[in-house]
Amino acid sequence: MITVKEKIKENTGFQYIVENLQLMSSAGRRKLLAMPLLTSTEVITTQYDCIEKFVTFMSSAEKKTLLVDLQHQLMRLHDIQGTLHNLSSHVVLDEIELFELKSFAFICMAMRKDLALLNMEQQLPMPDTQTVFQLLDPDKSGVVNFYIYDSYSEKLREVRQQLKGCDSNSETYATLFAQQNELQQQVIEKISQQLWNQATTLSDAFEQMTYIDLIQAMAVQALEWNLCRPTLSDTVIEYRNLFNPRLKQHKEQLGLRYQAIDIHLNEELCIVTGANMAGKTVMLKSLSIAQLMAQFGMFVPAERAILPIVEDVVLCIGDEQNEMNGLSSFASEITQINSLLQRSQNERLLILIDEPARTTNPLEGKAIVQALGTLLKDHFCVITTHYSQLGLPRRKLRVKGFVGNDTATPLTPENINQFMDYALVEDNNEVVPHEALRIASLLGCDKEFIQLAETFSGLKK
Amino acid sequence: MPFIEEILKHRSLSIVGLEKNTGKTVCLNYVLGRLHEMGVRTAVTSIGVDGEQTDSVYATAKPEITVYEGMRFITSEKHYLQRQLISQIVSVDEQCTSLGHLVTADVLSPGKVLLSGAATTEKLKRQIAECSADGVPLTIIDGALSRLSLASPTVTDSMILATGAAVSPNLQQLISKTKFFYKFINLEEIDNQLLKTLEPLTSGLWAIDDEGVAHDLGVASAFLLGSKDVNLFAYGNRLFATGAVSDRLLKQLSAQSGEKCITLIVRDFTKLFITQEAYATFVRKGGKILVLRKSKLIAICLNPTSPQGFLLDSERACGALSEALGIPVYDVMKVPKQTIL
Repeated sequence: MITVKEKIKENTGFQYIVENLQLMSSAGRRKLLAMPLLTSTEVITTQYDCIEKFVTFMSSAEKKTLLVDLQHQLMRLHDIQGTLHNLSSHVVLDEIELFELKSFAFICMAMRKDLALLNMEQQLPMPDTQTVFQLLDPDKSGVVNFYIYDSYSEKLREVRQQLKGCDSNSETYATLFAQQNELQQQVIEKISQQLWNQATTLSDAFEQMTYIDLIQAMAVQALEWNLCRPTLSDTVIEYRNLFNPRLKQHKEQLGLRYQAIDIHLNEELCIVTGANMAGKTVMLKSLSIAQLMAQFGMFVPAERAILPIVEDVVLCIGDEQNEMNGLSSFASEITQINSLLQRSQNERLLILIDEPARTTNPLEGKAIVQALGTLLKDHFCVITTHYSQLGLPRRKLRVKGFVGNDTATPLTPENINQFMDYALVEDNNEVVPHEALRIASLLGCDKEFIQLAETFSGLKK
Repeated sequence: MPFIEEILKHRSLSIVGLEKNTGKTVCLNYVLGRLHEMGVRTAVTSIGVDGEQTDSVYATAKPEITVYEGMRFITSEKHYLQRQLISQIVSVDEQCTSLGHLVTADVLSPGKVLLSGAATTEKLKRQIAECSADGVPLTIIDGALSRLSLASPTVTDSMILATGAAVSPNLQQLISKTKFFYKFINLEEIDNQLLKTLEPLTSGLWAIDDEGVAHDLGVASAFLLGSKDVNLFAYGNRLFATGAVSDRLLKQLSAQSGEKCITLIVRDFTKLFITQEAYATFVRKGGKILVLRKSKLIAICLNPTSPQGFLLDSERACGALSEALGIPVYDVMKVPKQTIL
């Protein structure tokens, strides 16, 4: 099963998204990490509905108050998995566990009330824990404080009365206290037994609460980051103004421009070419992040999104050189590609490969890309490359690339993005853009070095 | 005893022992008893594990903490379940210590409890703030073996120092050791102007010039000061060490200073880990130590018995110590025991 935990390990962009979810409880965080990649349209749609509702609540003052209360309740939620486990295995609990259950039942009741006022009881049904609370609140105090109340046992009350007038260093006190402990234990056993048949209700309530924590966090993020609810389709991937949240925030912090991109993909191979530094890798990463977010039931970073449900998102950036495994960058990349080819035979995947075979000789490298493209021609697959004339039956897109005036401002790695147009355009030219030397020259590389390279390239006499 | 009145002026109090078995717990029990008589709602907890029934180092009997109706205590799950009193749980901390979660409870019927508490001062500070927010005006923190950090003025507003025969059965030595420690507690504070400059600095070693401007000397910690490459006195003879100060630093300062009289500023006395000898050498050369904030010492209590069985003459010991320090010293054992719980 593919989980959030697994995906954040291999995708740092997605990790950033997950780390920025404002979960209210540690139990919610655990739930999030264990969340599986959703592949059922129904489940995803229900989750989108809930997030959408929560987002709208935030724009109404009255409902926002209820939502804030819901968040406060979640903050008080403790991870009581251990206690719930004991309960379902019919173990006699201790006083502290009983306290945990009482305060849990209390939070649950409060949340149930909030959800009812928000008209969410259908979409997010919360089990009723009133029976549990009443059992642990025999004096009807209405607060979460807990002890083995006198009202549980007449005998206990009597012994405690006797204890009150007794010197704590005396023998009598010790005897009475032991008796008190025994009576208390009897009560605890009795309460535990009564709670055993509430185990399922309480576990369900716990699961639901942690789920609500995810929903509220996803809704808050959707609102703060201006994310959109994707439309599910079976045939296309289409984004208007797709952005990479981390990069966008980083650029904006530096006061730089961030350009979101539009993209349309069918279930067929798509080759993307473009100059260096033109944002091809970023585009692939953005596509992977958005697809993962959508399939973990989150809204996506775009103005509009249409996307299919896939069984996994495979992103090959080709920088996973791992000396520890004794694999070179090429070996590591090619084994990764081999495994995705195998998976692609019986899984519907979104495959995103950045400049495959770029670390080997161009003759074989190009052949590898051609073979790869042929095998993946009927998949949701984007391959970026600098190789020309691949002769593949495919759709081809090109990043517009460098549009700046080469004389005005000297180019630096910091300002180059101002002279780049990251937009994707349809391109039927078989020859890829030759802008590497131009960019190198604008970046201030040694003139003799550039001229020499130009001579060797044969592009310029 | 007059010092109880003094305690009430503060939001938090730490009880620190100069040595193990100096009667910290007796002192705490006395204070709790008096506060109960006066009807002051009090919370009590400890730093780390304390309040064990037998002393794990000397295997001597150790009095438990007695808490009274209406008081609040914070202890670990393990010790909560072993308590000999009736109380109701108010909250359980989600974080887990080696003895389980920390339980906060209100006493319904008085009795004894073993105290264990948060292991970090950050957590202690938060607990004090929480108790205060819940309307408990005073929180007392029982110290643990060789833990001084709780007495830092950044954690607790006031402190009681427990000393006694366990420090040394020789009265002269006891006085000398206590006096040395007392000197640190009473180190002078720097002026407000300089405090504003130095308080935000959290790491490294800084030099302060004549205009009161702080310059980072590029030494990450006073412990890392090994080479002579750094000119410590480029800006004058005042230095501020943000972290702990050891003998080594004092020696190095003395070695580099030449004829200059150094003023070393530390955050508070709990940051000083220096021996009497090193301090004496430092002072002899004209050195001076100042603190950002001074701790409010409420009282010194003395336990005349040592775990090895020595017994000092209580009256003589208290008198001599009191005379040497110039403040009253109390033998809390001598105070009549509370007749009722």
